[in-house]
Amino acid sequence: MVASLVLLNVDGVECRYGSVKVLEDVSLAVKEGDFVGILGPNGSGKTTLLKSISRILKPHKGVILLNKADIYSLKGMEVAKQLAVVPQDSAIGFSFAALDVVLMGRNPHMTRFQMESAKDMAIARKVMNLTNTWNLAERPINELSGGEKQRVIIARALAQEPKILLLDEPVTHLDIINQLEIMDLVQGLCVKEGLIVLAVFHDLNLAARYCTSAILLKNGRIFSAGSLDDVLTSENIKDVFRVDAIVQKHFVTNSLYVIPLSPPKSPSSKKCSIHLICGAGTGTALMKVLLDEGYSVTAGVLNVLDTDFETAQFLKIPVTTEAPFSPITEKTHKANLTMISKASTVVLTSVPFGYGNLQNLEATRGALERGIPTFVIEEVPIERRDFTQGKAKALLTELKSKGAVFVKNQNELLSLLNVSEEKLKLAKEEETAKILDHLKPEEIPKESNITDKGEKT
Amino acid sequence: MILLIFALFVTVIVSLNVGYAQISFTDILTILGKRIPFLNGLVDSSIVKPAAESIILQIRLPRILAGVLVGAALAASGVLYQGVFKNPMADSYVLGVSAGAAVGASFSILFGVSSIVFGLRLVQVAAFLGALFAMFLVYNISRVGSRVPVATLLLCGIAVNFFLFAVVGLMEVIAGDELHAIVFWLVGGFSNVLWRDIWAVLPFILFGIVAAYFYARDLNLLAMGEDTAQHLGVNVERAKQRILVLASLITGAAVSISGLIGFVGLMIPHVTRLVIGPDHRILFPTSAIIGAIFLVVCDDLARVVATPFASTLELPVGIITMLFGAPFFILLFKKKKQSYAL
Repeated sequence: MVASLVLLNVDGVECRYGSVKVLEDVSLAVKEGDFVGILGPNGSGKTTLLKSISRILKPHKGVILLNKADIYSLKGMEVAKQLAVVPQDSAIGFSFAALDVVLMGRNPHMTRFQMESAKDMAIARKVMNLTNTWNLAERPINELSGGEKQRVIIARALAQEPKILLLDEPVTHLDIINQLEIMDLVQGLCVKEGLIVLAVFHDLNLAARYCTSAILLKNGRIFSAGSLDDVLTSENIKDVFRVDAIVQKHFVTNSLYVIPLSPPKSPSSKKCSIHLICGAGTGTALMKVLLDEGYSVTAGVLNVLDTDFETAQFLKIPVTTEAPFSPITEKTHKANLTMISKASTVVLTSVPFGYGNLQNLEATRGALERGIPTFVIEEVPIERRDFTQGKAKALLTELKSKGAVFVKNQNELLSLLNVSEEKLKLAKEEETAKILDHLKPEEIPKESNITDKGEKT
Repeated sequence: MILLIFALFVTVIVSLNVGYAQISFTDILTILGKRIPFLNGLVDSSIVKPAAESIILQIRLPRILAGVLVGAALAASGVLYQGVFKNPMADSYVLGVSAGAAVGASFSILFGVSSIVFGLRLVQVAAFLGALFAMFLVYNISRVGSRVPVATLLLCGIAVNFFLFAVVGLMEVIAGDELHAIVFWLVGGFSNVLWRDIWAVLPFILFGIVAAYFYARDLNLLAMGEDTAQHLGVNVERAKQRILVLASLITGAAVSISGLIGFVGLMIPHVTRLVIGPDHRILFPTSAIIGAIFLVVCDDLARVVATPFASTLELPVGIITMLFGAPFFILLFKKKKQSYAL
């Protein structure tokens, strides 16, 4: 059988709700086997785009062409034979059995006076097996869980034997295994049978994993379109979603993955500047938290390519660095001490110690000797991370005796830092208050003076 | 289904036996048999009194057939309304159809009860026209562009319904001597039904039910939501419009001979759905037959219940439908409510 090429063209579409434009000048062309992700924040027009393609909302301008025919001039039944939709949520009026719901997908292939044939039944059974819902066939749809119901709805869409499948956040209600199974199934149909899929995703990682291309919408316009590598960049995500995000290729799935970072809570900067002595990923979480709290952060010594180094690079934290896999040299140690002397507080994480980074402990001691308040996080006992025959342990004990404050974890550290921050503030205020007190008798006149004489020179 | 049709037939025969004048089943079957072509040669009708024959054929049979027609019509239109609105509370009152009929009927009772139009009583014609007028009014008020959203349709329907019943109330106030006639029409009943009335409404109800049956699958799809129905190839606006027109046609025809009879249109579809499920292709005809049986039985009760107290006293059937139907429905609902999600 020679399959004719199926094409969907969206050309300069503009949609409005009343006088509010929700889509403007949106164009895209998709062909067989394309799996297109429609991405964008809430209210960017993703669902509206699907609605206009599925003949629910006629565009005010532009056309949507299915195999070069205007989709709004075709008969509903004709379109339904080629295009199926899985909506965001389906409220079903009466308690139909799941099988009946799936059989409804056969409607476009039947005439008004026909009952379902054995062929329709066979197709329903096939798609229900594919979506893992055949065991639910007799159950009333309203008694199914959200995930089961959604799989039945997807089965109904597949029962239409469509060439184009529109999905509006298809797996939002499903658990991870169901998400993967359904998306794998849809992807398989794309690859094997040339199904066109247009899917709205909120989960950028899911989109990254399954789509062959994507369009990114912002305020009803296409902000970026093309391959995932072009669309899913941290710059685009920052511009459209207003969120900082790490975008990397995952070494197992080989697809892009996006890690959004929560926006800073209070941008009000604090007085403290903190120098982190960390490594091997022990400082990664802390860096972000301290920045979010409003502290200015430095770090060192870190080897280039160390996880903490990469994080610091991403967060634009100044670092004293050493070459990869090399012990800390005297030169970098000195540079680190210079950086430390500029900090108002030093924090040492529970990093493992070998001969390569033992000098970082000495740097911590240096901080104490310079009178800088120093906190030591001891999440893992030193015995389990000392690979220097007790040298690190001895140094740590020395730190304690020199007045380093030991804390159990990050939270304890944060609360102590807050206290010292408050003290700093109080001290400042006291100072100001004292100065004011001194000034009072001379400078500030009595009330009667003001009322009687007005201004005083 | 065949069982149900048989049950309806039995109900009709048994109902012919019910009444003040005692007429045996043998006589009833003989009288009926005589009227059936090919069979009449086999029936010896000499034993039946002519008075009995005229009671059966001229009084009881038209009345029972009216019960069948009206019961089927109300239940069928109830299924249609509930299907289109996806709302279990929907019936002919929702679109103001019943209210429109009431206004038409009250108006004609006030201004010339005995007039005859095209061989029909004016009350009937006015009720029928009132029903259709109300439906068109509501449909056009609630149109937004080319679409008629269900929510606005419901709201406009309820508003028009209240308005029209207020008009009926006004007419009752100024009715004077005709008040009794209006109230009697409003509670509904079959006591004055003649063959002429049956023949007048039969084509409308028959046509309406048969035509609406072709939309049974569309109703199933509409239950999935209007957008989904559209995605599955239904021309939603056209289907909605046609179903509502047919439902109102059926209702209008039915109430024009019976007056307003509550409960049947609202509850029979539910009862049927509880028993056989929501598939409109089965639900629609089954509801019609169950509605017919139900209303005929209620009418029998209406004729008999009061006889011990006064031989000529008869209760309005609308009271019976609610008095006996509601507890029955509640019982059934309590028993099966786990599996009945709306």
